[in-house]
Amino acid sequence: MNQLLKRKSRGDIWFDIINYFLLTVIMLLVLFPLYFVLIASFSDPNYIYSGEVWLFPKGFTLDGYERIFSDSSIWIGYANSIIYATLGTLIGVAVTVFAAYPLARRELAGKSVIMWFLLVTMFFSGGLIPTYLLIKDLHLLNTMWALVIPGAGGVFNVIIVRTFFQSSIPDEMWEAASIDGCSNTRFFWSIVLPLSKSILAVMVLYHVVGFWNGFFDALIYLNDESKYPLQLVLRNILVQNQVNSGMMIDVESYAAKMRVTELIKYGVIMVSSLPLLVLYPFLQKYFVKGVMIGSIKG
Amino acid sequence: MKSLFKGAGIVMLAGAFAVSGCSGNGNGANNQSGNQNQEANFNQTGLPIVKEAVTLRMVSPKAALAPEFPEMEIFKRLEKDTNVKINWENIPDTDYTEKKNLLLASGDLPDAFYAAGFTDYELINYGKDGTIIPLEDLIDQYAPNLKALLDRRPDIKSSITAPDGHIYGLPSYEENNLGTNPFFHVINKAWLDKLGLKVPQTLDEYTEALLAFKTQDPNGNGKQDEIPLSFMHMQWCMDIAGLFGAFGLPDNLEHRVVRDGKVIFTATQPEYKEALNYFHEKWYKQGLIDPESFTQDAAQYLAKGKTTDETLGSYIWWEVEEVVGTERSKDYVLLSPLKGPKGDQIIGRANGGGPGRGAFVITKENSNPEITMRWIDQQYEPYMAAQIHWGPLDVVFKKDENGKLVNLPLPEGASAGEFRQKVAPGAGGPGVITIQDLGKIVDLEPRAQQRAKDLEQYYDPYMEKENYPNIFFEPEELDKINKIEPELIKYVNTQRGRFIVDGGADKGWDSYLKTLDKMGLNELMEIYQTGLDRYNANLKK
Repeated sequence: MNQLLKRKSRGDIWFDIINYFLLTVIMLLVLFPLYFVLIASFSDPNYIYSGEVWLFPKGFTLDGYERIFSDSSIWIGYANSIIYATLGTLIGVAVTVFAAYPLARRELAGKSVIMWFLLVTMFFSGGLIPTYLLIKDLHLLNTMWALVIPGAGGVFNVIIVRTFFQSSIPDEMWEAASIDGCSNTRFFWSIVLPLSKSILAVMVLYHVVGFWNGFFDALIYLNDESKYPLQLVLRNILVQNQVNSGMMIDVESYAAKMRVTELIKYGVIMVSSLPLLVLYPFLQKYFVKGVMIGSIKG
Repeated sequence: MKSLFKGAGIVMLAGAFAVSGCSGNGNGANNQSGNQNQEANFNQTGLPIVKEAVTLRMVSPKAALAPEFPEMEIFKRLEKDTNVKINWENIPDTDYTEKKNLLLASGDLPDAFYAAGFTDYELINYGKDGTIIPLEDLIDQYAPNLKALLDRRPDIKSSITAPDGHIYGLPSYEENNLGTNPFFHVINKAWLDKLGLKVPQTLDEYTEALLAFKTQDPNGNGKQDEIPLSFMHMQWCMDIAGLFGAFGLPDNLEHRVVRDGKVIFTATQPEYKEALNYFHEKWYKQGLIDPESFTQDAAQYLAKGKTTDETLGSYIWWEVEEVVGTERSKDYVLLSPLKGPKGDQIIGRANGGGPGRGAFVITKENSNPEITMRWIDQQYEPYMAAQIHWGPLDVVFKKDENGKLVNLPLPEGASAGEFRQKVAPGAGGPGVITIQDLGKIVDLEPRAQQRAKDLEQYYDPYMEKENYPNIFFEPEELDKINKIEPELIKYVNTQRGRFIVDGGADKGWDSYLKTLDKMGLNELMEIYQTGLDRYNANLKK
């Protein structure tokens, strides 16, 4: 230990100090908003606005959470979101991987044509109305399939995964395996997939986050409230208490509504992001590895 | 490999057929039986409207946490009475505009849009291309309640009639006159008493009071933390526009007033300039205006009335309690319009406030327009209209001995506004409650009654007679207004803030007028004048 310290020159030590200092500052910058949202969700909004809430909650209250959880639709929303995220992720990741693997293999005929077709979709989309009509004509409206199927297999993801396969599964491996009598399918299941855990984790995280946070598709395609995902339910709770501009005709307590809105605003953020905050640390190590490999070695 | 694909294809096709088969069947069967028996099934008058149940598909927004309409008591009763079943598609009101546009653009049309919130633009354009149908003939034949209302109230008829003479959307209106003056001016009476001042009657007395608030520490905490006057720049019910009246020409948020049938743009008038000079010299320079007045949002504003030490001297908001809380509210009193330097004492009248006109539209896809019209006409019967707007009998109201609807006590822990959302389609719904109906057929909720009393006592005697009604413009006129007005008003308001804060209204006035001229002020005022003339002409018809 002593030796280690000695080997550092004065400059090195300063470098370290400044480094740690800056990193700490940055970490605080990132952490504080999260922390603030947490304490704000327990504080009296009047104190938040007069700037008195800073390090600790002031005027402690659970009104916001009470409001949020008193609504049974939130549990339905949770259940729906979990279903959509699980199912959507399964479908999405499967489609992505099944598309990416063949495209990563040199012997696939017409590879460039297929790739070209895929790429076109990245630049041109049908737009909202044609998409809506398509979903309608497929009779997917007001079903969960409208959320999980149309977006499955994003081209961007396919490219990331394909690049990963190309760079980390050498052709020699397939040659060796096939000499030993391994079939394509077996090679894929027993060799490629186990070697690709990191990229799979990345894909899972992408998809889960996407489905968890997504509400626009649900908004457009779903009519039935019992099918709403969590985000839409939370948005409704928040919006319901928002003060509307129709005050001229609507004689009601603006202030009381304001207060509740402020309270549940923070509560809603906590409720909706908690599952992802919990999930992230477990996937984080794959995440860094996977994306790096996928992107840098082309 | 090939056979595998074939297999998959067949399975998928079969699946698709199965899906389409199911949902297709239901609709088709319903429609057909509806068409065949239509004539025999339909009752021209009386209830039920149809002998055998008919289903209509309607799209409607609803308050986000309200139950879907089929679960609302009021619609259950309506279905039982009329035998018309509504297949509701409810959309949370905040997402409604988006989804409505999507449905209209994709041609995925329901039979009708309920509480439709169609803008003038949409009414005219979709009326012109036939997406929604003109309703005046249907009203004549099948809507006795609505027809009676329109005969009785030509102003309502005039304001829902499109410039092309058709009626495309039905009205929604709660005529309570509560919006005539939103600027309730409040002052801290407890402080006035403490400082030995009387309640100000003139602008100068008021200025004195503000100055005393600032300098003499009326809350007695030894700090100069009093805020003499706080408001929110150019916001509904919290702006100082009402105070401009002391100079003879009251302002409103549009800077547009009407006198003797002539439209006046206030923000270019000498009285307006005089007011700005006064507010800068006497108020801002002496630190009597809360500098945050120009930037704060409602939450910040409301928090100011609830600080640990009482700090708010005077403010503008249309309910005392909301800003300072019930406990402190006894310290505060309302001020009538203040007498200006030349003895003017007047307050403006808010513009618009007439009936909404896009509350119900029928689309071209509707094969039962008569049934639909008869169904919606039920809701223009005054008692029903009240229930649609505020909530059903036995839930929100009971009938008293005179047959008037009076409010039942609210359920424990519910606020009136929230409860209302859950039991009724609400303010945007079809139905008209006229001022004559209030007090005779239905009572306003208690808070609204209080506000009506305050208005009568403090403001009505000083109020402008005319306002700019809610006029149905031609699309070309709307285009021009939309092109000119937002920028212009934004400029005017920025300048207003600047003149109050930095002063210099005298020096900057000419270039200010010139800029407005360049931005198309004259053209804009012409359009408004034309619209007003047309409206008045329609009224006399």
